[in-house]
Amino acid sequence: MGPSYYLAFVFALWAVGIYCLATKRNMLRMIFGLEIMINAANLSFISLATGVPGFVDPLAHSIVIVSIGLSGGVSAVAITLVVYAYRQYGTLDIRELKRLRG
Amino acid sequence: MFALPLDLLLLFTALSPLAGILAARMRRNAISGVYSAAALAAAAVSIYPVYQGASAGAVSSIVNVGAFTSYMRVDMLAVAMSAVFLMLGVAAAVYSISYMSKERSSPLYYSLLLSMISGMVGVVYSGDLFTLFVFWEMMCISSYVLVAFSRGGGDSVEAAFKYLVMSGAGSATILLGISLLYGMSGTLSFEGLALAFGRSEPSLWIYVASIVSLIGFGVKAAVVPLHTWLPDAHSAAPSPISALLSGVVIEVGIYALCRLCFTAFLPVQPQWLPIVMVLSVVTMVVGNVMPLLQGDVKRLLAYSSIGHMGYMLAGLSIGTQLALTGTFLHIFNHALMKGAAFLCVGAIIYRIGSRQIGDMSGIARRMPITATALAISLFALIGMPPLNGFISELTIVTAAFQSDLVWLGIAVILNSVLSASYYLRVIRVMLQPTASEAVQGTKDAPWLMLLPICALVGMIVIFGLWPDPVMDLMQRSAAGLITLLSQVTG
Repeated sequence: MGPSYYLAFVFALWAVGIYCLATKRNMLRMIFGLEIMINAANLSFISLATGVPGFVDPLAHSIVIVSIGLSGGVSAVAITLVVYAYRQYGTLDIRELKRLRG
Repeated sequence: MFALPLDLLLLFTALSPLAGILAARMRRNAISGVYSAAALAAAAVSIYPVYQGASAGAVSSIVNVGAFTSYMRVDMLAVAMSAVFLMLGVAAAVYSISYMSKERSSPLYYSLLLSMISGMVGVVYSGDLFTLFVFWEMMCISSYVLVAFSRGGGDSVEAAFKYLVMSGAGSATILLGISLLYGMSGTLSFEGLALAFGRSEPSLWIYVASIVSLIGFGVKAAVVPLHTWLPDAHSAAPSPISALLSGVVIEVGIYALCRLCFTAFLPVQPQWLPIVMVLSVVTMVVGNVMPLLQGDVKRLLAYSSIGHMGYMLAGLSIGTQLALTGTFLHIFNHALMKGAAFLCVGAIIYRIGSRQIGDMSGIARRMPITATALAISLFALIGMPPLNGFISELTIVTAAFQSDLVWLGIAVILNSVLSASYYLRVIRVMLQPTASEAVQGTKDAPWLMLLPICALVGMIVIFGLWPDPVMDLMQRSAAGLITLLSQVTG
């Protein structure tokens, strides 16, 4: 099975992430969408690491490990902001937030 | 470990909590402010030996520390960009000493400020896309927190969340683009990419990778359909952070696009650059029409940053050496002009406590130095002849005419004429003879705020009258960028 099947799946996953960011109103669900997009990119790296038959390039795997760490940092900051927003407005709905700010 | 200025910055960032503890013990927040300003100044001075190395032609270094291998590539462009970042960083740090003095958690603020600037310097010094991505995320994560830092809460949390979601989606898209380039070439270093793609025929996947990367870096560079986070984030942040975000952080996106355009995207350049050209015209029109509708002075300046990103993208899309010189010169000049403008506006907001332009009437009589500096930086943003904004816009327009893209040059000229209308409105309100209620009884900004403002405005005037040294530096940067492929193949 060539990498093109994996790449089709990667782009589908990326589109799911974008759809999630565009349509969801809950702030936590938007963070999930962001994570799905990052995972699509990670999967793309892993599937492209086997360019030469019988050999797996460690560069791609090290990038994915670092990228998982970085996405953990982004999620931590995002969840902190969600906690602050909830304390301030008492809701997680992104559209309510705009209305409350007025 | 890496290049000298980056090592110093990372070391000082790691040690900044110690200064924070000391500041908390002695109950003097100024200690961590002075520490971060001194750290940035030390890093700025240490650029000089790196500059000498880059002039002599030493560009690459492969650093191997145990299991960790990183690849730095410090050429003239990297030196010039890092000098711009550190210059504005020092100004913002000195300004923050007085601006953030009432903030209880300001030691945290200075740690984040240092790590954001280290991330930016790391991005321009990195020699492969992996290192670039790691420093890119370092810059992004610190800037998300800094946007949410402003006092009084309010809309800053919402603006920071919007910024995080859009910029995070951009980073994920960048990573996807990098993975496609990796899958095609098996390498991520810029030289390797130039070798792998430089003289090859374009394939379907390189088109996909170039579009995906344009979307990803375009979010950070505020290319127009992807710009919606910028006015919110830049107006909600504390003023020194707004100056840094508008002055240098968004330019890092342009830097990355320039770098990729002349390495990996060489085969698709004839198709890719016209797309960028159309986007640049849309960007500058939107960035110059939207400020006309704004009553909030920080939102006005944030939208005008989008307009200036349009000029820089126009320079990139022409793609000749003269045009890239104009782009890099405009990055330098925009950092000075927009940095000074945001710092002046911050000083006025600090005194009168309002961001509405209407509340600033008559401020010129109460805060003469700040108002004069703001007027000079706004005239430079319009592109008035003796000031530095004129030089770089003229360079971009000249390059457009030389490449037979007359309509693009005319678009840039018309846009800078259009931009005069809203900048002059701010100056007219400041000069009104009747003072508004908020302005009554205010005095000029504290001297620690005036010091970086006057330094930046002084540089605006000096580099407007005598642009030769910077012009020469940017010309060599552009030449180094364009000839990267021929340097590698020899």
